[in-house]
This record gives sequence, structure tokens and C-alpha cells, in this order.
Amino acid sequence: MDKVMSNKWIIALYVLPSLLLILAIVYIPIVLTGYYGLNKWNGIGAMNFIGLDNYQALIKDKLFWNSAGHSLLLAVFSGISLILYLIIAMVLSAKLKAVNLFRKIYLIPMLLSSVAIAQLWLKIFHPTNGILNSLLESIGFANPPAWLAEPSIVLFALFIPILWQYAGFYILIYYAALKNIPASLEEAAKIDGANAFQIAYKIKLPLAMEVIKVTIVLAVVGSLKYFDLIYVMTDGGPNGSSEVMASYMYHQAFRAYDFGYGSAIGFFLLVICLIVTWIIRKLTASKDTIQYS
Amino acid sequence: MMSGTAEQLGGGAKNSRAGLVSLGYTLLYIVLIAVAILQVFPLVWLLFFSLKNNQEVFNLPPLSLPMNPRWENYEKVWSAGNIDVYFLNSVWITVVTTVITIVLGSLVTYAITRMKWKGSSFVLGLFMVAMMIPVHSTLIPLFSIFNKLHLIDHPLSLILSYVAFNMPITIMILLGFYYALPREVEEAAVIDGCSVNRVFFRIVLPMTGSVIATTGIINMIYNWNEFIFVNTFISSDAYKTLTVGVQNFIGQYTTDWGAIGATLMISILPILIAFLFLSDRIVEGIAAGSVKG
Amino acid sequence: MFKKKWTVLLLTLCLALVAAGCGQKSNNGDKDTSSDGANKNGSDKVTVNFMHLWPEGVSAGQNKIVNQIITEYQNEHPNVKIKQEVLDNEQYKNKLKVLSASNQLPDVGVTWAAGFLQPYVEGKLFTPLDDLLGGELNGKFVNGTTEAYAVDGKTYGLPLEFNISPIYYNKAIFEKYNLEVPTTYDQFKQVVKTLSENGIAPITLGNKDRWTGSLWYMYLADRFAGQEALANAINGSGSFKDENLVKAANEVQALVDSNAFVKGFNGLSNEEAKSEFLNSKAAMYMMGTWELPNFTTNEDIPKEFRDSVGFFKFPTVDGGKGDINSWVGGPGVGLFVAENSKVKAEAKAFVEYFVEKWGEQAVTGAGVIPATKVDTSKLDLPQLYVDLFNEMSKASSITLFADVQMQANAAETHLNLIQSLFGKAVTPEKFSEEHDAAISKGN
Repeated sequence: MDKVMSNKWIIALYVLPSLLLILAIVYIPIVLTGYYGLNKWNGIGAMNFIGLDNYQALIKDKLFWNSAGHSLLLAVFSGISLILYLIIAMVLSAKLKAVNLFRKIYLIPMLLSSVAIAQLWLKIFHPTNGILNSLLESIGFANPPAWLAEPSIVLFALFIPILWQYAGFYILIYYAALKNIPASLEEAAKIDGANAFQIAYKIKLPLAMEVIKVTIVLAVVGSLKYFDLIYVMTDGGPNGSSEVMASYMYHQAFRAYDFGYGSAIGFFLLVICLIVTWIIRKLTASKDTIQYS
Repeated sequence: MMSGTAEQLGGGAKNSRAGLVSLGYTLLYIVLIAVAILQVFPLVWLLFFSLKNNQEVFNLPPLSLPMNPRWENYEKVWSAGNIDVYFLNSVWITVVTTVITIVLGSLVTYAITRMKWKGSSFVLGLFMVAMMIPVHSTLIPLFSIFNKLHLIDHPLSLILSYVAFNMPITIMILLGFYYALPREVEEAAVIDGCSVNRVFFRIVLPMTGSVIATTGIINMIYNWNEFIFVNTFISSDAYKTLTVGVQNFIGQYTTDWGAIGATLMISILPILIAFLFLSDRIVEGIAAGSVKG
Repeated sequence: MFKKKWTVLLLTLCLALVAAGCGQKSNNGDKDTSSDGANKNGSDKVTVNFMHLWPEGVSAGQNKIVNQIITEYQNEHPNVKIKQEVLDNEQYKNKLKVLSASNQLPDVGVTWAAGFLQPYVEGKLFTPLDDLLGGELNGKFVNGTTEAYAVDGKTYGLPLEFNISPIYYNKAIFEKYNLEVPTTYDQFKQVVKTLSENGIAPITLGNKDRWTGSLWYMYLADRFAGQEALANAINGSGSFKDENLVKAANEVQALVDSNAFVKGFNGLSNEEAKSEFLNSKAAMYMMGTWELPNFTTNEDIPKEFRDSVGFFKFPTVDGGKGDINSWVGGPGVGLFVAENSKVKAEAKAFVEYFVEKWGEQAVTGAGVIPATKVDTSKLDLPQLYVDLFNEMSKASSITLFADVQMQANAAETHLNLIQSLFGKAVTPEKFSEEHDAAISKGN
């Protein structure tokens, strides 16, 4: 077994095509981003090597740390909402009538492009004739807030469409993971007298653990570099109160023509992702991986 | 219907308890249906949106139809040249990139989870880091790479970037499933003298059908909706995809929202159909695999 | 056996990729030789790449003019082929940025003035077009428009648009509340007060886009401190701490406090804000003259609304140094020719042709006021256009939009500060201080 499974040629054949591809398409840009970050460069003229100046400026940049704080908050919220997604996936994977239809319907919003999602939520949040405020006014709230214009609430208002946008993605993964658990295990537990909650907690959850760990990393990394809806719906405003790291990077590089600084932000974002992922891996590490047996 | 389901799960509980359980299921269904309606709402909204002109988009409540539904928006989109070319490009590029990503990603995941070699965790780390770079940081470096390879304005630039950028997330998702996959069947096959390739293609791939469908859906949606790379690397209409169709209606000072809605509506249909088809394949998974093994 | 099959499959895939790559290479080769050949003997086809932002779907008028000009040009110059690439505004700007980082600009493209253009000029990516100004186009431009495209005495872009920003108002709403068009700032505040008390949003403003709010600040600054003080503050020779400029910033916040602007303005895009005006929910809207088609010829908008749109000049302030005929505005987009274009001569000739023909057709064909002089007496134009053309010729000065005027870095800071000023997240004093800091820092 070991001999067959450690044949170097086969391993190379399996891994190298993909590895070379990402080294060329993803790593060259990563390395170059790191390098641009060491330069004063507006993206157009000549580069001017300035060493770590951009990074020093970044560490003192209050606007950057604000946006980093917003990104981390989004990461925490995404992490927590995984629990909700997992519960929904469990319900959808139960043997209920019409559950297949429900599953399909539940995942439909994930097909929408972010252009459509942004427009939809702009209409929901519109301060005067938006769906949300019309609803609030009709049940007696005299002066509902302008959700996307209030610095104190805009970030949380944005989290809702973001978490909703990604719900389908995680529900889909959890659903497949739960469906992959052999039915025989569940049957056996039922014969032993376990109820639905016990089965979910004692059997399904541990068996889906590897997948859950992966989704935690995906959710956190995805949130840290999140950009789409925020860019369209508020563009980081008002007064930077919904700026996140990726939008700040974009504004610096593409709007303020400071490509060197923008690259430094991009590279720093990568480092933050790395550290956070490492912490998550440490926290969720288990000695032996669980298998169906 | 309700009590039947309840009995199935409750496994012969007493009558009084069954009544309570059945009430629980009724509540569950009410919630499920309510959420389902909420989830269909965006699609309905988009349809209505696509039948309005700018005045109506901003003036009418989001969920109302205008007096004269403006089907001419669809006509406008269809007649606006090249939409058929964009459409075909979207289809083939999405299919090709999704297939390549999943095949390559499966090979890598198999090598990482099953084969014994030094540096496997390092390589896994490389793939993970590759998903931490914000996309806007990569545009300028990628453009110059493709430019040197003479791949600017060539569909290969899209294929390579889509595969490379979706590879890490695909591998991550596959990884969670591969870890949890029983190894007995594979081990037995190897002992029987099966080659690694045969084990992979005949046993492992079929066993992972459900996660392949899952990553397939995810890849498909990402590739279908991607526009930043298309805009940056492609300049000829002959290679552009549907996502740029939206741009035809974003002007210097005004935007034709109705036509954008119609474009989004047209572009969501194929992916909806593909999704409904793939979504059913998630259920087949382990069972199908173990039969063949 | 199986192993072999797989290897073969993989090899085939690789080969296919390589072949596809090679195919493209030879295609490119063909193109290059053809244009090189053209330079030698002038008989083969030359391709001029032209990137612009007027898509057929929404900018139908502009797109039609562009295509018409290109067709005519190609007929007159059978050896030249103009290849278009169209992107929307935002994507256009991003792509231009990426292209310039790799020095791959199209031969001809659209650019904005002053602060936008400067880095491209410093990076030697745009070529000077002064020779064109001395030729066919001599004297055709409205005074002061090409200057916005000049860096160190050379002109790097030829403007296509020229705009000023009046305050549009809804005559029907004004009539309903017996309001007169204000000529002084006190009258203006009274109008705001009356409308606000009657539950009508006085002014609609989409300040998510920030440059929209900048217009209001610019006018207040101009009327309080005068055109010169504002210009000096922006170019760095003066200061935003000028007493009157601080007063202007104060006044912005006073307007916000008097509920002059529509609810949630800092979260609304210009597009959303505009719809409040078009739907008669807000009484006033300050915007560039590029909006005129919506108030005159756009059939999608009810005629009764279009007929009730008027405009007035930003009122003067008692004791202020500003002049009522001083405007905020300036040239919009213009055309550039890439410095390292292989077909520079052809590209320049095309630009010259384009600007001239554009000037003849822009107003009637697309409702766009060109930067070249228009003889309005020969055209049948809606009254609103005629009135604004008159205002333009009477203008005592036209201050270029601040975010266009400033270098990108400072412009970004300016725009952010504007949003903060309107959102009362920054005091007028701090607003002035940070402006000075941003401008002295330069790029």
C-alpha cells in the first residue's frame, strides 16, 4: 500500500499541473504585490524603491485599522452565522416531505450576481420608499433610520445582505456533507433509541467536522478580503464607516493612484489572513481525523 | 402527510407524544414555507425590475408591476448586438473552467489526503495561501504576465485565471470530504493490485459525486458571474462574456436599469437550469460509489 | 493501460493549450506586420484602437455619433480601420489604469482633465496634441477648455464636452408654495425653509458619490470667498483656512441642519437622488448640464415634468466676494493619443477629425454640449439649452470641479472630507486643515 501510494511520478502527475498553474497565476502576482508594496508607484510612471515606508505608514494609518476592524467584525459575524447555515442544512437533509424542493428554492439567491443583489438591497434599504422603511412606517415607526447613511448602523445593515448572499454557498456544502454520512449510521442510532437531536449532535456533527473546519477558514478568509456589495452599496461610506480592507486597498490603488500603498495593503491583508487561518487551524486541530467506520 | 413523516422519524412513539411532534412539524413547515417565499422573492423582484423603465424602477414599490410591462427591455437587450456571442462564450468558458478545476482539484486533493510524500502539507499550505490575495491586487501583475505570453484578448487568459483562482477553494471543500471518506475500499483495491489511477478514477471519483456536484455548482456560479477579469484581459467582442452585457446599459451619466434587469434575467436562466440539474446529483454520493467499488 | 490513457489525455490537453496559445501569437504577428507594412508603403490597412465609454445600449446618441464618425472616416481613409472597445465609466477607468501599468494603452482613448491626466503625462504615456490645436481646430474650442488638459504648457487631450452646473428646480412645486427664484442666499434659505416646513424635500443630493456634495461646497466657497481665494486654496498658493472658506464649510453644515437635503443623502447615489427630482419628490437638484436631455428630450420622462423644469444660478451671499456669473463646471471627457502608439500619425489625424465632427453633432445628436464652439442660431434647440448656452457665454469665470482639478490623492481626500462635512463627522476647521495638508502633500 505505502509503496504504491508514494510513487513520486504519480504524485507529481497529480499535483504538478495545478501547482504550476497557481504558482504562475497566483503566486507571481502575490510576490509582485509584495514588491510593489516596497515602492512609491502611482501605477503609471517609474517605480521608486522606498523600502518599508509604505508598511510603516500603514501601521500608523488610522483609516486602515478602522477598515481592518470592520473586516474582522464581518469575519466574526460570518463565523457565527455558520451555525445558522448548519442548522438549515440539517433540516434540509432530514427526511421530510418536499424537502428537495425546499433545498432548491433556498439556494436560488446564490445564483444572483452581486450586481443584482446590490440593487435588490438598495431598494430594500432606501431611506424613503424602501421596502424596509415602508414596512416600519406602516407599523407605526415614525422616523425609521436611513440605513445606509447612518455611520453607526451602516456596517450592520450591510452585513445582512452579505450573510444572506453567502448562505446558499455554505448550506450547499453542509448539505452535501450531511448527505455523505451513510444512512446506516443513522439507522443504527435510531434502533438504539436516539432522537433527532441526539443523532444530529452525536453523529452528524462529528462526522461533518472536517467540512465544518474548512468552512470556518473559508468564511473568515472570505470575509477578510470581502469587497463586492460594500463597494456597490456604500462605497465604504459614509465617512469611511463601512470601509473594509479590500475596499480601502481598491480606493488607494485605483482612485488615489497610490498603487504602491495599495499593494502594501493587499499584501498586509494576506498576512492577516495567514495569521488568522493559522490561529483557526490551531484552535480546531484534533489529533485524529474522524472517519466513517 | 405530517403525521406520516413524524412517525417515520419518531419511530413508534406514543399517541400523545406523536400529537406534540406533529404540531412541531406543522410549525417547521410553516417556517420552511415562509423562508422559501422570502428566497423566491429576489427572482420575482428581478423579473418585475426588468419590466420597468428608470422612472418606474425608482418610483414604484419594488414588488409592483408597472401599468405597461416593458417587454421591450428584453428586445433592447437581444437586439443590442453580440449578446448571442457573449452567451455562447459564457457557456463554454464556464463549462471548460469548471471541469478543469474540478478534475485538477480532485487530483491534488487525492494526492494530499491519500499519498505519502514529503511536503504534502506544505503544498496544501501553498494552495490555501493562494485564496488570500484580494483580486484587485492581482490585476496589474496578471495583465503583464498575460501580455508577455501574448494571451491578452485571448480566452485562455480567462480560463487560466478562473481555474487558478477557484482551485484553492475547490481543494479546500474537497479536502473536508476526502478526509471523511472511508479508505477501506481503496485499500482493498490497492491490495488486489489496482493501479493508483484506476483507484482514483473508478473508485474515488464516483464516491465523491456529491461533493463534485457541490463544487461544480460553486465554480459554475463564480465563473458565470465573473466580470473583472473579462473586462481587464479581453477587449474583442468575440471573446467577451454575458457579464459585460450589463455594461452596455451603464452610461456616463445615466444607467438604464430596466435593461440591466432584463440582461440579468436572461443570464440567470441557464445557470438556474444547470443548478437544478446538478443539485439533484448531490443526493447521490456515497451510495453510488460503494456499489461500483 | 489506464495510466497510459491518462497520460495521453493530459498531454493532449497540454498540447491543445499550447496550440491555442501559438494560434494567438501568430494572429498577433499578422496584425503587427500589417501595421508595420502600412507604415512603410501606406497601402495596407492600419488599425487604430479606440477605447471609449459610450455603449450603444444607454448612450445611444453618443454611440451613434461615434459610429457615424468612424464610418465616414474609414470611407475617407480606406487604409485605416478603427477598432472600438466600449466599457462603462467605472470599468473604463480601471482598465485604463491596468493598461498603463503595462504600457499597453489603446492608440486613442477617453481621458478626463487636469488631475486625472497629470500622472499619465508624467509617466509619458500621452502624447502632446498642440500641433492639432494649430491646424484645422485652431480657434474652434471654447476659451479655457483646452487649458484644463495642459501640463507644463503642452496640451495632452482635446476636450469633447463642456458643462456648467446650475440649480435645476421644479416650477410646479415653486408655484404651489408661492416661491420665487432666489437671487440672494438669504432668499434661498427662505425657500429651503418653506419647502421643508411643507414636508417637501428642498434639495436632492446623492452624496454617496461625494463629488455631488463637492459641487455645493464649491459654490458656497465661491460665493463667500470669491473665485480667486478658492482657486488659490486648491492650487496650494492659498489656504482652505481662509476665513471665508471656513464660513462656506460652516454654511454646508447649516444647510444640513435646516433639513435642506433629502433624507439619507449620504447613502444615496447620484442616480437615486436624481430620481427624487425626476419624480417631483424634491424641489431642487444641482447638477451639470449633461442632465439636460432628461429635462428636455428624454421621452421616458413625463412631458409635464420636463416642461416644469427651470434653472437658476447659485445665489450670491450678502457681503460675500463671489459673483453670480461665476460657475462651477468645465470640460468633461476628452481624447488622448498614446505616446507609444505605433500609428501615432493616423491616431492624431483621427482625433482631429473626431473632435470636429463631434462638435457639429453632439448637441443635436446626443444632447451633449461640446467643448468646441456651437453656433446656436443655426440649431433648433430646446429653450433650456439656449438659456444655458447664453449663461456660458456670459460667465465671468468657470471653476473646474474640485475633484478633477486636484491630483488624485488630494482629490480622494477632498471627496472623503466632503462626505464627512455633510455628515457632520468633521468640523469646518478640521475640514480646512486636512485639505491644506492633503494639497501640500501632493502626490
